[in-house]
Amino acid sequence: MMHDEPQVARDDVIKGTDDDAIISKLSAVNLGYLDDSFVKHFVKRPSRRPPLINRGSYIRTRSLDAFTEQFIKSNIPPEPTAATTTTTPHTSAIIQSSSTPTTKTTAISPIPAAGIKKQIVSLGCGSDTRYFKFKAKGLSALKYFEIDFPESTAKKAVVIKKNKAFTDIIGDPDLKLGMGGTELYSNDYCLLSGDLREFTESIVPKLKAHGFDTSLPTLFLSECVLIYIQPGDSDAIVNWVGTNMDASLFVVYEQINPADAFGAMMLRNLKARRIELPGIHAYPSLKSQEERFTSRGWQAAGAVNMNKLHESLSEQELKRISSLEIFDEVEEWQLLADHYCVAWAYQAKPQQSETYRAQLIQLLSNSVSS
Amino acid sequence: MTDAALRLMDRHNVAVDKIQPLAVACLELIESCLYRRSLYLMITASLAYCHRQIQTLLQCKIITEAEVKDLCLKAREILVEESNVQRVDAPVTVCGDIHGQFHDLKELFKVGGECPKTNYLFMGDFVDRGHHSVETFLLLLALKVRYPDRITLIRGNHESRQITKVYGFYDECFQKFGSANVWRYCCEIFDYLSLSAIIDDRIFCVHGGLSPSINTIDQIRTIDRMQEVPHNGAMCDLLWSDPDPDSCTGWGLSPRGAGFLFGESVAKPFLHNNGLELIARAHQLVMEGYKLMFDEQVVTVWSAPNYCYRCGNVAAILEVDSNLNREYRIFKDSDRSSMNSRTNPQREGPPDYFL
Repeated sequence: MMHDEPQVARDDVIKGTDDDAIISKLSAVNLGYLDDSFVKHFVKRPSRRPPLINRGSYIRTRSLDAFTEQFIKSNIPPEPTAATTTTTPHTSAIIQSSSTPTTKTTAISPIPAAGIKKQIVSLGCGSDTRYFKFKAKGLSALKYFEIDFPESTAKKAVVIKKNKAFTDIIGDPDLKLGMGGTELYSNDYCLLSGDLREFTESIVPKLKAHGFDTSLPTLFLSECVLIYIQPGDSDAIVNWVGTNMDASLFVVYEQINPADAFGAMMLRNLKARRIELPGIHAYPSLKSQEERFTSRGWQAAGAVNMNKLHESLSEQELKRISSLEIFDEVEEWQLLADHYCVAWAYQAKPQQSETYRAQLIQLLSNSVSS
Repeated sequence: MTDAALRLMDRHNVAVDKIQPLAVACLELIESCLYRRSLYLMITASLAYCHRQIQTLLQCKIITEAEVKDLCLKAREILVEESNVQRVDAPVTVCGDIHGQFHDLKELFKVGGECPKTNYLFMGDFVDRGHHSVETFLLLLALKVRYPDRITLIRGNHESRQITKVYGFYDECFQKFGSANVWRYCCEIFDYLSLSAIIDDRIFCVHGGLSPSINTIDQIRTIDRMQEVPHNGAMCDLLWSDPDPDSCTGWGLSPRGAGFLFGESVAKPFLHNNGLELIARAHQLVMEGYKLMFDEQVVTVWSAPNYCYRCGNVAAILEVDSNLNREYRIFKDSDRSSMNSRTNPQREGPPDYFL
């Protein structure tokens, strides 16, 4: 039984989920769903995934990219308007405003400094390439931190350090390996190793040691990560961010609906692959995903399932992806997509002047509503 | 005449001219017996051969490539004689998609009865998605060759070269036989499969649904079906369309990119004009196994339980008795099916999720 298995073995299985995810992402890239020239460097044995998995990888990446892009682009307005705490942003707007994979900017410079400084923290980043993809398009934050288990970051650090495609994007001659090759440090990009279950004790000090600034608006990304740790541990992260950051936006992508027939089968099948989702029972629905944040004092939160994200694709974009490969898994797709959600929430601390706080909230709200 | 016969006649003092007609008759009889015996032997050998193949396939074991070729040749001779709207007599048990879920097909036979005891009509999508498309399709084909009047196979949208290349059957053939030959033989047979069936002139059975280019059953009979499933037109629509409960206008665009959505306002006139009482079709996953629509005049029958080893659904078959009374039988996935997919992910590939 799973519960008798040593923690180490269980962790290895979770680390393995990244390999699965990155192969799926490359499959979607190779078929033209996504544009990402960096993914291929992390996959030793590419394989073509079924159309519904490709479509899901595309929707998931596109959605989180949209949040990231808007967060990077959003700015404090010169004349702040009074922010409301009950803004209900339109997710469709987020999806549609995201750039299509074919648009590409070649300039490699951050958005000009009329903008406020911002940070991004990717929790359990695995082989994610978002930092590189965005900076290649000229979009970057002041600092981009990635955190994962040392085994994962060591592999990632080697690929990045060895490869000109990555080091050119980082563009820092002082790019350094650290902690026995498990970490990478540069001006605007830090790959850090650690265990998210020890967030406050070990991750936070490490972040701070590498220039993490709790006063800057910060985007926290968790792509199928919080769900793998015990709710107590993931709650500790959400609590710490909510309490200590002046302004933060949290975006979570993970499984929901464990109780229906499909959900129950999903848990059984994953269990057979020795993958457990301890977080799914704590936050099993869109509503509970929102409440994870609102109950902890976050100002606004929202959650949508993948079907909604899929429906909000523009007709043109839907036509484009429909032309990439046959898609005969309509009912199955709807079932699967009903079991994954993107949830977001933001908060800004009242310790600032009211004006500044209103500005921050406006910025965060822009990030989710455009 | 043989020497022995001549000696015999000599000993009994029988004149040759007297005995000759009788002897010739005897000889002819003997020859005909020998011929019949050899015919009998041939037939029994062939039946034994079919039986052996069926027994092998029933164990979820593959037959040789040469045997597949031979089986397909025999099947072709039978299928080429079938109409685009194959007539089927009730009682018959109507089944929906199987999708290579071999162990669940065996479960279906447990629930519905063995073929040929039970008369079966399978509405297509035998292959793709599941782990045992090869064994599933060849078993159904071997049963068709052995009991042509007790099992009817009509074509689904997955019985196509293009779709099987994406959804698994091609890869499975390659993996199990080391070449694409078996896939090629099977695809040739797909082209021969009938497009629909009609039970006692009252129940129209088709994989997908209706087509705006088709108003009468007779129009289906005129389709030249011996081809790869086209991307549009009547033949494509029959295999790809879906009923749409929300449609008010009749025809709608299908999210699948082929076929149409058809509403109540076109289904009912079609039934009425063709003197039918029911359209039975498959093609769409239904969590409850079957789904009645349009005042119970259209039914979707889905026969792949826990579809793709992932969906958690039950399956159904539709039993139509000689008075055309209908009864649905529900069944779950076989233990072997779910166990194999979970415990043997390396060999058979685990169900996919986003991780």
